[in-house]
Amino acid sequence: MPKVVQGYVRWVDAVNRRVGRCAMYLVFVMMAILFYSTISKQFTLPALWTLDMAQFVMVAYYLLGGGYSMQLGGHVRMDLLYGGWSDRRKAWFDAFTVLLLIFYLGVLLYGGVSSSVYALETGERSFSAWRPYMAPIKVIATFGIFMMLLQAVAEFFRDIARLRGEELA
Amino acid sequence: MSYELIALLMFASMMLMLMTGQRVFGAIGAVAVIAALSLWGDGGVELAFASAMKLMKWYPLLTLPLFIYMGYMLSESGIADDLYRMFHVWSGGLRGGLAVGTIGLMVVISAMNGLSVAGMAIGASIALPELLRRGYDKIMVTGVIQAGSSLGILVPPSVVLVLYGMIARQPVGQLWLAGVFPGLMMAGLFVLYVLIRCRLQPSLAPILSDEDRALPMREKLRLLRAGVVPLLIFFSMTGLFLMGVTSLVESSAVGALAATLAALLKRRLSAQVLEETLRKTLAISCMFMWIILAALCFGAVFDGLGAVRAIEGFFVGKLGLGPWEILILMQLSFLLMGTFLDDTAMLVIVAPLYVPLVGLLGFDLIWYGILYTITSQIAYMTPPFGYNLFLMRAMAPPEVSLRDIYVSIIPFVGVMLLALGLVMVFPQIALWLPNHVYGK
Repeated sequence: MPKVVQGYVRWVDAVNRRVGRCAMYLVFVMMAILFYSTISKQFTLPALWTLDMAQFVMVAYYLLGGGYSMQLGGHVRMDLLYGGWSDRRKAWFDAFTVLLLIFYLGVLLYGGVSSSVYALETGERSFSAWRPYMAPIKVIATFGIFMMLLQAVAEFFRDIARLRGEELA
Repeated sequence: MSYELIALLMFASMMLMLMTGQRVFGAIGAVAVIAALSLWGDGGVELAFASAMKLMKWYPLLTLPLFIYMGYMLSESGIADDLYRMFHVWSGGLRGGLAVGTIGLMVVISAMNGLSVAGMAIGASIALPELLRRGYDKIMVTGVIQAGSSLGILVPPSVVLVLYGMIARQPVGQLWLAGVFPGLMMAGLFVLYVLIRCRLQPSLAPILSDEDRALPMREKLRLLRAGVVPLLIFFSMTGLFLMGVTSLVESSAVGALAATLAALLKRRLSAQVLEETLRKTLAISCMFMWIILAALCFGAVFDGLGAVRAIEGFFVGKLGLGPWEILILMQLSFLLMGTFLDDTAMLVIVAPLYVPLVGLLGFDLIWYGILYTITSQIAYMTPPFGYNLFLMRAMAPPEVSLRDIYVSIIPFVGVMLLALGLVMVFPQIALWLPNHVYGK
């Protein structure tokens, strides 16, 4: 494979790994927020911001973690047929079907960008009692989808390389 | 092209895409956005991202990563080792007693966690090797662990019932209470099956040697202390939620924290355990969340097509069936689809189509939630697609082959179908407790 492609795959892997490993710890943030809300409402009025904030963290958690979990092979496949195939045949099928995955992520990204731009321009707020601005989480979500897209393209290159008898690190 | 035909076409393409072995979320999402774009052009382009925002608003889903985290933490914390020893000593004297004890262990774990992941991890890592070492039949044991861990989604807390509650707009508290007796009944039926089977074929389950069981009574009673921690965790989570002290998502955070504390107190919370737990939690949570994200988009397209009305028209109008016939037909179609399609995606795509119809026919939606969950349990175990199968393959020791795993579930699926039938015929099994507590 060309040097550029190799470099690209290595770069995307490294970035997503780092992003994902940071996202991994957001579980603790969710726990802390919800635990704070449990305790605080025993003494004072329930805090308005906790639920909204926990939701935002959840979205960041799985969208930022998507690419890393793809590296880990976490995304389940239906392996009724797939499981019995040779590596070469798997790569053949994947090389085609991953294009559909890329298409889906592309549409997701398009929607994310347009929704983020809208939120930034109009100062969109959530309908909840706390009324937080929506732009930050939408931008984070869009970034997560973008990184997922880059990872999916890297997987595509990996399949092509495998078909040419190479293995990309 | 008529809308019904488009809906069918979408279903067929999803099926085909899944067969190619591409990642499930990609297969579902791609079909959804292609359908949306070709139906509505530019108007359909926002649909995919809109489902991400919709998923955020489904705040009870916060319980999912927290329960997954908790499940892995429990299996690492060593609580399960003590529990296993307790069941082992107390039920070891019976023929098939260790298998019965494993079912007991699974019930306790189910009461602490809302998914089958925890039961699976604990069953495969602690109970399975022990049982195999003592000469238990590997097929029976594999089946016991898969069936037992599936109780995780029926016995409260339950993530599947949370998802169902969001779709059907039913209170989660009542749904969880409704799961208590069907869950215990199912566990009882498993025990009965194991005991009868071992009576008929004693070779499947050798009785423990005397030295294995010879423990002074005081020692035996001391082992019962292993049950204290699970009881505390159960109370701090489900107990406080049902008493109204914590909200649903808060209770899952309390549970996750309690499991971490338990691991800390047992001095098992090493950096490596933490790392493993966090990494696996991320991988599994992302898998579920991305599937739900794609399935929500798929469901939104279905919604736009008016599929609910089409299905209603089909069952009530074209086939002209009575309520019970429709209900049974729906369960059968669920079972059939559940074996082939991804189970979470099924819940998100198909439940919104069926639930309104069930309500329309005059059935209780709490009761239907239980039927639904039992069906999901079966779907989790039946090949070619099921999460328990998937997890079992990843966790089972090498001497358990894929064929063993597939064969092992057959009798248990039979028992579960029996339980499903019983709850259908006697709705009170599910409804008595919530009606009693909430005084309907």
